[in-house]
Amino acid sequence: MSVAETLAAAKPRSGRAISFLFFAIAIALIVATPFLPNYYVRVINSLLIYILLGIGLNIVIGYAGLLDLGFVAFYAVGAYSYALLASPQLDLHWPFLLILLVAACLGAVTGILLGIPVLRLRGDYLAIVTLGFGEIIRIIINNLDWLTGGPKGIARLDKASILGIQVARPIDFFWLLLITVLVVGTLVWRLERSILGKAWAAIREDQDAARGIGINTTNAKLAAFATSATIGSIAGAIFAASQRFVSPESFTLQESVLIVLMIVVGGIGNILGIVAGATILMLLPEVLREFAEWRILFLGLLMIFLIIVRPAGIVPRSFGPDKLIRRLFGK
Amino acid sequence: MTLTFDRLRKQYGQVVAIDDVTASFAPGLIHGVIGPNGAGKSTLINMTAGSYSVSAGSIALDGKRLDTLKKYQIANSGVARTYQNIRLFDQMTVLENLEVCFYPADVGGTLKEVTWPPYAAARRERRREKCMETLRLFDLQGYAQAEAGSLPYGRQRMLEIARALVCDPRVLLLDEPAAGLNHHETAELTARLAAQRLPDRITIIVEHDMDLVMSLCDNIIVMHHGKLLFQGTPAEVQASPDVQLAYLGTANDIDDIRAAAQDRRAQLGIRARRRS
Ligand SMILES: Nc1ncnc2c1ncn2[C@@H]1O[C@H](COP(=O)(O)OP(=O)(O)OP(=O)(O)O)[C@@H](O)[C@H]1O
Ligand SMILES: [Mg+2]
Repeated sequence: MSVAETLAAAKPRSGRAISFLFFAIAIALIVATPFLPNYYVRVINSLLIYILLGIGLNIVIGYAGLLDLGFVAFYAVGAYSYALLASPQLDLHWPFLLILLVAACLGAVTGILLGIPVLRLRGDYLAIVTLGFGEIIRIIINNLDWLTGGPKGIARLDKASILGIQVARPIDFFWLLLITVLVVGTLVWRLERSILGKAWAAIREDQDAARGIGINTTNAKLAAFATSATIGSIAGAIFAASQRFVSPESFTLQESVLIVLMIVVGGIGNILGIVAGATILMLLPEVLREFAEWRILFLGLLMIFLIIVRPAGIVPRSFGPDKLIRRLFGK
Repeated sequence: MTLTFDRLRKQYGQVVAIDDVTASFAPGLIHGVIGPNGAGKSTLINMTAGSYSVSAGSIALDGKRLDTLKKYQIANSGVARTYQNIRLFDQMTVLENLEVCFYPADVGGTLKEVTWPPYAAARRERRREKCMETLRLFDLQGYAQAEAGSLPYGRQRMLEIARALVCDPRVLLLDEPAAGLNHHETAELTARLAAQRLPDRITIIVEHDMDLVMSLCDNIIVMHHGKLLFQGTPAEVQASPDVQLAYLGTANDIDDIRAAAQDRRAQLGIRARRRS
């Protein structure tokens, strides 16, 4: 037996142990969070927001194979929806859930608006145009002082409340985000396995052959852009509500790139991979906080290391949530 | 139900690939398209399937124009095809390669598939059953969960044909299905295609393997320099001096045509091996 075969044969068992380990860590973390100091809860919250963003962007990048570098625009749309509809800025004070709905719809519309002009583009060209789109949205926000407060942003956003329950403390947002991630994650995973998800995969593999089997690639791609943007926008609204302050600074190209990195490092096209990628890229800087100036360097080295040893990401595409569940609870 | 080409023409810049071709293809028959390299056979398939635009003339199915439709709409009118150079969804499984063909039929239920698990399970099961049935026809059921791109070349050819057949097409276009296959595989393919000769299906096969063409086809079209040179039964084609001339310049019998086709196959076999 060759080394590769031995490894392949050993994999299911060690895979099971690793699955259990990570599952246990995740559960422990969830259980422990309410007892952690606020600072750490905030870190975990921002991790959850990035997971949400990663799940959204992954639809376009991982499923449909379209490299979108302007994702942060949708995040901004959601954040500013909340900021404008629940603050003294326009003296509007809509309820949180209603704003979430509005943000979701606005996100979908912007997603389609971005999608239409880039339908014919792929690869590098698509990346550049979407990058431009992200910057345009940020610059508009930056310059529309009368509406968005310009670079100063909008402060004193309303405290959110859901059906009379106030969501204000970090721990409240932890629960809100956890539920959102679980619900969105499950739906997106089901979407991946649906016939539309298969069509996205076919478009990613060979767009022309996909048309040849009757897939209206225009509609399928717009659906990807719209769902992805909806999730980005929802994440933005929750983000704004938890910060109670928004400014264009939160929506730079760097954010888009960070989310793309999470996807690539974690495992493109796989929700579990996004959780892994986001965790590494979010928590590592926290762990390395003491080495302040060196953090970026460490991060860079880590990225190079990971890309060499695991070019398909930490969790490969084939190891999806269904496999995890089977490993954990199966025979 | 008939597929018709009416004064069809295709030009790539200065090159005239198809020149004033008028033909009609009746259902229930297997139509063969033969001709030397560069005769325009693939171009005919590509125009019919909507991969290439039509320079002049028209293509119609049942009197309904196809050439004005988009590629996916043509597919949804019941036209399925394979490619001269295999085009599978390489990183998807064999089963998924077929399942995704149900997109046009099932996409309307996507929201329900996402939100209502029992519905999704039922849909998936139904798709799966149909796909497995088709895979069995091509002896691919054992590969259902394998990545399509990892299959041996011959199996990939079969899978591509299975993908074209899974949604029960009215028009089946096969561009050199036997290219790169060995004798045994070609014989299997011939038998499987013969079984797919349905009364309401139009099958068009572009092929250089004369044994396959002569034994399988009911009607043969011979292309030469973009023109329709000859149309008739296999026996008529074999007897036609024009056809022999087109193939070999000085040919005088069908054995020479066979020999030419064999050369061609060897050439393709090499290409196939390089690919994989
Ligand atoms: N995309 C293209 N651009 C330019 N010329 C093309 C293109 N496709 C085909 N041609 C030309 O059109 C002519 C017909 O090509 P086609 O591929 O239809 O031939 P064929 O009969 O399928 O040949 P073969 O047996 O080699 O597959 C050839 O001269 C070819 O060079
Ligand atoms: Mg050809």
